[in-house]
Amino acid sequence: MPSRIETYRNLLRDENVRSISRRYFISNGFDGTLTCIGIIVGSFLGGSQSAMEIVRVVAGGTVGLAASGVWSVWEIERAEKLAELKRVEEKMLTDLEGTKLHDQKGAARKVNAAMSGLGPTIGMLLPIAPYFLVGVALSILWATVLGVAIGVGILFAFGAYMGGISEQNWVIAGVRTGAVGIVVGAINIVLPG
Amino acid sequence: MSSIKRLVLDLMKPNEIENVEFARTIAGMDGVDGVNASLLESDKKVQNLKLTIEGEAIDDGEITNTIENLGGTVHSVDEVACGDRLVEESPTHQD
Repeated sequence: MPSRIETYRNLLRDENVRSISRRYFISNGFDGTLTCIGIIVGSFLGGSQSAMEIVRVVAGGTVGLAASGVWSVWEIERAEKLAELKRVEEKMLTDLEGTKLHDQKGAARKVNAAMSGLGPTIGMLLPIAPYFLVGVALSILWATVLGVAIGVGILFAFGAYMGGISEQNWVIAGVRTGAVGIVVGAINIVLPG
Repeated sequence: MSSIKRLVLDLMKPNEIENVEFARTIAGMDGVDGVNASLLESDKKVQNLKLTIEGEAIDDGEITNTIENLGGTVHSVDEVACGDRLVEESPTHQD
């Protein structure tokens, strides 16, 4: 019997598992990064919050989005994978509970849910890193500018990665997704109030 | 009890479990020297495989359990060869 680590390693080689995980990771990572950019620009423009208060707000949002990512995908994939298993069971005229296929689908669901939670965690926590340097090396303005730049960089990386796997021009794909971060920041700036 | 030297099985399995995995898993079992897995039929969700298993002392019960644990079901036992030496199928006039 393969060890648990080996099972997960095999799963990560499975294109079906990778493809579903990738979608959740990037989709939720996009949500997280754009939410973070919105919070930090909005908080800066509000002008009344300290760096650590902004970090706390983003950290709270991260917990919410990561939990939502993990929980929703856990439930979605439970339903989808059980439905898939039922379709195979109907063809096989047998119960597949406890078989390798059943276990494999359960483990794939864990990978999908973990990747779904990891996307927004990275997308929200990396852009707030500069706030830890406020008062040491950065002003709150520069921490916000750097935070937005990191967010745009993450969005660029998501786009470039997708461009790479679909054999498109990864620079153009990255610029297309990175631009959304700038648009979100700009909308926050022009919003009244 | 004489040992099984060759077992030919017709089985159905989900597409998601690779044929290679069936062959490798069974080839790694005690008493099995080698396995041939041939695809007989492929559907959208399931496949029919013909497994030819040879060895010094094949445990048919364990083979069936392993196949079921992998998600397959044995449709029929198409050939069994037992005894001290391997005996090939003998042609008859009807053939």
